[in-house]
Parts: sequence; structure tokens; C-alpha cells
Amino acid sequence: MSALRLSFLLLYFGAVFFPASAATIPAWLKFWKGKDTHSVAKKTPSLTLGAFSGGTGESAKQALMKELNSTRQFKLTNVDPDFTVTANSVGGRVNGRLVNRSGKELLDRTYAAPGLDENLKAFADDLILAVTGKPGLATSRIVFVSDKTGTKQVYLCDSNGQDVQQVTHHSHGCVSPTLSMDGTTIAYTSYASGFPIVQVLDLGQGWERTVTDTPGSSFGASFAPDGERLAVVMSFLGNPEIFVTDLNANSAACISDSTGAPSSPAWHPDGQQIIFADDRGDGPRLYVTEVPKSNKAEAKLIRWRTGYAFCADPEFSPNADSVAFTARIGGELAVVVKGWPTGSSRVIQKSGASHPSWSPDGQYLCYSQNGTLYLHHRTTGHRRVILSGQGQITEPRWMK
Amino acid sequence: MNRLCLCFSAFLAPLFLFTQCSHFPSFPAEPVPEVVYALGSRDGFTSPLSVALKPACSALEFTGVSFALTGVHRRQLASLATDPATIKDSYLIAGYAPPGLPEDFARALSERRAQAARQYLIESGVEAVQLQTVGFGFDSAPNAPGANVVVVYHQ
Repeated sequence: MSALRLSFLLLYFGAVFFPASAATIPAWLKFWKGKDTHSVAKKTPSLTLGAFSGGTGESAKQALMKELNSTRQFKLTNVDPDFTVTANSVGGRVNGRLVNRSGKELLDRTYAAPGLDENLKAFADDLILAVTGKPGLATSRIVFVSDKTGTKQVYLCDSNGQDVQQVTHHSHGCVSPTLSMDGTTIAYTSYASGFPIVQVLDLGQGWERTVTDTPGSSFGASFAPDGERLAVVMSFLGNPEIFVTDLNANSAACISDSTGAPSSPAWHPDGQQIIFADDRGDGPRLYVTEVPKSNKAEAKLIRWRTGYAFCADPEFSPNADSVAFTARIGGELAVVVKGWPTGSSRVIQKSGASHPSWSPDGQYLCYSQNGTLYLHHRTTGHRRVILSGQGQITEPRWMK
Repeated sequence: MNRLCLCFSAFLAPLFLFTQCSHFPSFPAEPVPEVVYALGSRDGFTSPLSVALKPACSALEFTGVSFALTGVHRRQLASLATDPATIKDSYLIAGYAPPGLPEDFARALSERRAQAARQYLIESGVEAVQLQTVGFGFDSAPNAPGANVVVVYHQ
């Protein structure tokens, strides 16, 4: 009997001292949650930089060592390395090779871009991809909005916040940018005509074209993984709805069925589902819809319960095991990550942090907080400012 | 004693489960009216970003993230639909949202509010082709005292 009484007491104190929150569920209650794959320690591959020949060989070696050190993907050592890198560099051009412990060649490629730095970044990314199977970040780009010129315009920077370039110079500004998977194309909402229309800019060739110039508003563009389709919010039918436009055929199909205010669509990496926020009168919640393969195909629409009453800006992680989104907690915006399709929620950053976007390797999140751009390591929780003093930085989106 | 313990546990167990919930189910919300009138061509309409436009009535002020029209909003809009001198005029209904919301949601919310105002004006007798909407979120400042507003601009 006393044991029974003790268990009631424990139950009571458990309820009082473990208040409602997804993050504070006692560990013993999490037996059904599954294993957090990101907490499993993996052995860091070791790598050595061997002979670097040619006129710019030595400077290439030093620069590559610095680049690889900053990625923290390898343990650089000369003692029994798993992989060996050699290269020949003349006039900034780089021919790089990667062999494994048994001498098998994994990579042999020539990098002939105009600058040595550019070539080494591409080489570093290829080394990371060859060894880890995940894309490197050296050549990846982050697109964001800044008001430093007085109007909101779209900018690009690299994953260290360097090499900042203003991409748009439209009258009345441009917002809501997104990059294609290969980083060659940006889609954004332009106010050049005074009304919000969605445009696409080819960064390599410089041409710009209008994708949607429909009555009402068009915004929230998001590239499909194949780069040939764009999810976008349009309101010409009355209620704003999510449409998928085919960039080659210039056709559009409505995939949502909302009476409210849908926003910020984002693609699943498989290209067959889209997650978006929709306010149906009680604050924005997250919904997931299938993208029908044909006009007559049926599509499921589900509400994805996150445990938060106000959610926006969702984005799937590159391996689709999680979704990062903006939630409102205690009256302030916060960045939250939740396992997909089920799993616990984790508050990444409070105090006004918003608009999270995953790095191509899924190890980092970038987000804006009080006009500053931050990089946040998913596993360690370490975060750092990568860009500040550039006006109010908002809406960052990382190339995938 | 056993009965007392059972009653006690019957009371505490739901309490414990509720405290472990990260959110509570909301009560059935009032159904949101669908906007059923598609927009016509935007040709001939001018944006408040391009030129200074005159509001046709006082700005409709909203609270929170609601997009439902209140009785005050309807009274403000009714004057446009009932005045014979203005019923044939064209209007651009522009929604704005305050900073502090996610940017894309602010655009959707402001557009949805503008659409709600347009729907009411159409139901009140204004021709659909005379009404265009736009949602600026907080990408530009409204020509009104508040930031959480819908402004009906005379064209």
C-alpha cells in the first residue's frame, strides 16, 4: 500500500516539475521515439596532403589545407591516413587526385576556373563528396534579403558570409528569394512593376524572366529538386493557393485547397511532397500535400502536428529526416527542428530567430535573428555570426 | 483506503498526461468564409509603390493574425458600396502586416485580408472587375497610421 502511495506522489511531483513541453518529456517516456541518428559518433576520416607540384603548387597546398581544416570533415595527419591527396597546380589551374589507403583512385579532376581560390573550393567540395558522400559547403551559396541600400534587395554570399554580391537592383525592391539545387538560378518576388510578381534570374547568363504576373500577389517561390518546377503562392483565383508551375511548359496546377492564407511552400527532397504553412483562421500551422503526377491524380493533404500553434517557413532537411521551421514561442519567433514524419521537437534558437534553412550536407542551419545571419551546427549546437552590418538581413535560403 | 487511492489516481493521471502535452486541442473554430471571386485583369490599376494614392475610406485595422472582417470593417466598407457617386469607381485593396511576423506569412495574411475586403464589397454590390487586391506584408509601409491594416486606394 505504501508503494502505491509513493507512486502517486512520484506521479504528482512528475507532473509539477516536468511542465508541458515536447523538449522536457522525461527520457524514460521516449522509448517509442527511435534513435537520434545524429548523436551517433562517427569516426572522422583521416587525410594527408601529399605532393603538390607546379608553379602554384605550394600555395595551393596551403590554401587547400586551410579550406579542409575549416570544414572539420577530415582529420589532417601524416600518420597512417585513410586518404591521400596530390595535385599539380600551374597558374591557378589545379589537377587534383584522391587515392584511398589501398591506392585506389577515387578522384582525378582538373579545375580550370579563372582563380586558384575558386578551383580549390571546388576541389575541397569534391574531396568531401568522394569521402563522405555528402556535398561540401565551400562552393555553396546562401541567398538572402537585405535593406542596406534603402530598399529590400536580394544578395548572395558563401557559407562563411564572404563574397557578398547584390543580385537584384529593382525599383521598389525584391524579396522572398530561393536558389535552385545547383545554385545557378534564383527565383524571387519582384516589386518592379509595383505589384508582387515572381521572376527567375539565371546567374550564369544574366537573363531574367517573369514566371507569374497574375492579378493579386505572387510570392514564396521554391524550386523543386529537379529544378524544372517552382512552387509558388498565387491569389488570382480569390483565395491564395499553392501552385506548382512547370518552368519549361509555363503551366501551373493548384495543389492546395485553402480557405485561409497559405505561405512558404518547400519541397520534400523526393520532389513528390510539399510542406507549407496555412492559416485557416487560428494561426499558421504546417500542412503537407502530395504533388499529383497528373491532372486527374488524387493528392493527400495532411496537417502535420508540430506541437506549436504558430508555425511558418518550413524546410525539409536534405535527407528528409527533419523539418526546420519558425515557431512563435512566448510571443517571440524561434527556430525549431522536429523529426519527420515523427520525432521530438528541439528549439534551436529563440529570441527572434526565424527563417531557418539547411546546409546542403544537413549539418548546419542558417537563420536570421535581429537582422544578423547566423550559422548553427545541428549536432554541437555551436553557432556563429557569419554576416552582420549589412542592413537588416532576412529570409536566408541555402542552396541544396 | 484502496478506493480513495483509486479516485486519487483517476484524478491525477489525466492531469499528468495533460501536463505532458505540448499543446492542447483548440476548440472548433468559426468556419472561414471562402473567397470565391477570381480577380480580373490588373491592367489600368496603379500601385501605391509607384504613385501616391488616395485612400477611399479610413484604413481597416486588424488585430493579431486575424483576417476575418469585423462589424467595424463592414461599416467602413459599406460607404463605398452604397454611395452612388463612387460605386462605379475602381479600387485597389492593399493589405499590410506589421513587422515581427515571418515575412512570407505576412504577405499571405495581408493578401488574404485584402481578399476578404474585396469579397465583402462584391457582395455589397461593387463590380468584381473594379476591385484588385495586393498583399505587401511588411515589405512597404502603408499609407495609414497603423501597420496591421488594409487600405482601399481610389484608382
